[in-house]
Amino acid sequence: MLELRGLSKHFGGVRAVDGLDVTVERGQIFGLIGPNGSGKSTTVNLVCGVFPVTAGSVSFEGAEITNSPPHVALGNGIARTFQNIRLFSELTVWQNLWVAQNGQESVRSQGFFSRWLSGNRGQRASVEEQLEFSGLADKRDEPAGSLAFGEQRRLELARALAARPKLLLLDEPAAGMNLEEVKQLDERLRWLNEQQGITILLVEHVMELVMGVTHRIAALNFGRKIAEGSPAEIQQNQAVQEAYLGRSEEEGDEGGGSS
Amino acid sequence: MDEYLVQVLSNIGMISFLALSAYILLITGEISFGQQAFFAIGAYASGIATAMWGWGFWPGLVWGAAAAGAAAFLLAWPTLRMRGLFFAIGTLAFAEMVRLIFEIFRYQVEIDGELVGPNGSEGFRGIRYIFEQDISAFHYMLLIYAVLAGVLALLFVIERTRLGAIWRMLGEDELLAETEGVNRTYYKVLATVVAGAVAGIGGALYAHMNTYLEPKIFNVMLGVHSLAYGLIGGLGTAFGPLIGVGIDIGLLESARIFSGYRMIVFGGLVALLLIFRPRGLLDEAAVHALVAWWRNTFSSPAKRSGGSGRPPERPGA
Repeated sequence: MLELRGLSKHFGGVRAVDGLDVTVERGQIFGLIGPNGSGKSTTVNLVCGVFPVTAGSVSFEGAEITNSPPHVALGNGIARTFQNIRLFSELTVWQNLWVAQNGQESVRSQGFFSRWLSGNRGQRASVEEQLEFSGLADKRDEPAGSLAFGEQRRLELARALAARPKLLLLDEPAAGMNLEEVKQLDERLRWLNEQQGITILLVEHVMELVMGVTHRIAALNFGRKIAEGSPAEIQQNQAVQEAYLGRSEEEGDEGGGSS
Repeated sequence: MDEYLVQVLSNIGMISFLALSAYILLITGEISFGQQAFFAIGAYASGIATAMWGWGFWPGLVWGAAAAGAAAFLLAWPTLRMRGLFFAIGTLAFAEMVRLIFEIFRYQVEIDGELVGPNGSEGFRGIRYIFEQDISAFHYMLLIYAVLAGVLALLFVIERTRLGAIWRMLGEDELLAETEGVNRTYYKVLATVVAGAVAGIGGALYAHMNTYLEPKIFNVMLGVHSLAYGLIGGLGTAFGPLIGVGIDIGLLESARIFSGYRMIVFGGLVALLLIFRPRGLLDEAAVHALVAWWRNTFSSPAKRSGGSGRPPERPGA
């Protein structure tokens, strides 16, 4: 469904992503892990066209979409959340979901003038549905900025889902969550994947979540892929363990030291 | 009404178009130091149309707005690829370029044995349509305010539609808006064109009131002021910039006690407001509070309980 071929992004001399090959199959929950600065978020930003790629290509459902701007990515069915939560923090929960509909295909396709006008019934019904799903119905009139951290994450997820995506890119959705919230997120992602048929690319540090929920994982370090496989394979992989835990000088020659 | 008051009020009306023009770009998150260029283009284009081509006033006004809008479109394509500070500098460079082009722009025809038309830095004399039609200064002032009311009404309609919501979304968080499916380039170009046309209308009105244009009037200070009007008056509603114009032209430029001190007081006022009310007197929060107060005071209880089912009044607040 999503194919990255030789994807590279260099910021000056820094190779944030360097020749990355990744294939996400339809129906998968695909995990992207790696230490801080290994290029995970950059990869998400490249897929969404936040900045231009240095080299390589991105294709989605067989069509090349390299360097398509974010609104085109959304139109293609790729929605995302941000590592640092991005919401219109002074707008209420309801308003955030409502304005998020402005850019969407269903609104856009109504013609030249009506696409400038707002608030049709379908749009409102969809907002109610998202409110219900995210469990934020009782917070509908509160400013998004005043919500608890976990609630803001839920709202962001609801906003991304409002676009009815085929592929969902989640950039560290569990960051800052407690165990209970991680468990809820785990269930939510499974439900989205299994019941709604949404393919998910999950960038995450929280291993409890990644190892439990994903079908396949790619591990990055310094912008390069160092391993790919099932969660169990990745857990056993020596290169991954070294990337996370480091490799001590003395034990280096013996090739271990990180059990 | 005494002559001086009519003149002051007419000035406030005309400059309001420029302030609204800068305001449209401010709510989409762009700072332009170049709106005076579109004011100038509107002024020259409409002046040429009525004084040299024999057009009527209204076609001339529409033509002035269209020419300014078209120029804004040409400016928008290259400059909207720049962001923030670079856009500000790009618009400034464009405005200076336009001013310098008018300094060397010569296009004159002989009418009744007299040369009429732009003559470089000598200026453009003889835009006498209003005088020839025997329209008094007072009536012309009413005409300015009628056009202003029309433009304001249009802006209020826009602010209540999806287009207005998208402009404010872009102004709040461009990346988030794009992520939610907003085509940034399309909507920013649209904002630039509308802003250019609004400034062009103001320019056309200016040309016909003064009968005489000089390139040096359209300098950077005019653009800086038009930006400041929105920042003083507030970005919560289109009335904000008008308050800014009223304070500056109505009070500082025209009242005798401030004569000679205008720029000092104005500069101080801008500095104070940027510290205490960074989005102006009538900012989004103030507008919200006013709208809520209005609803609670004047609407029926049944309507009031609508609560969250209502679309947002000011999506960018």
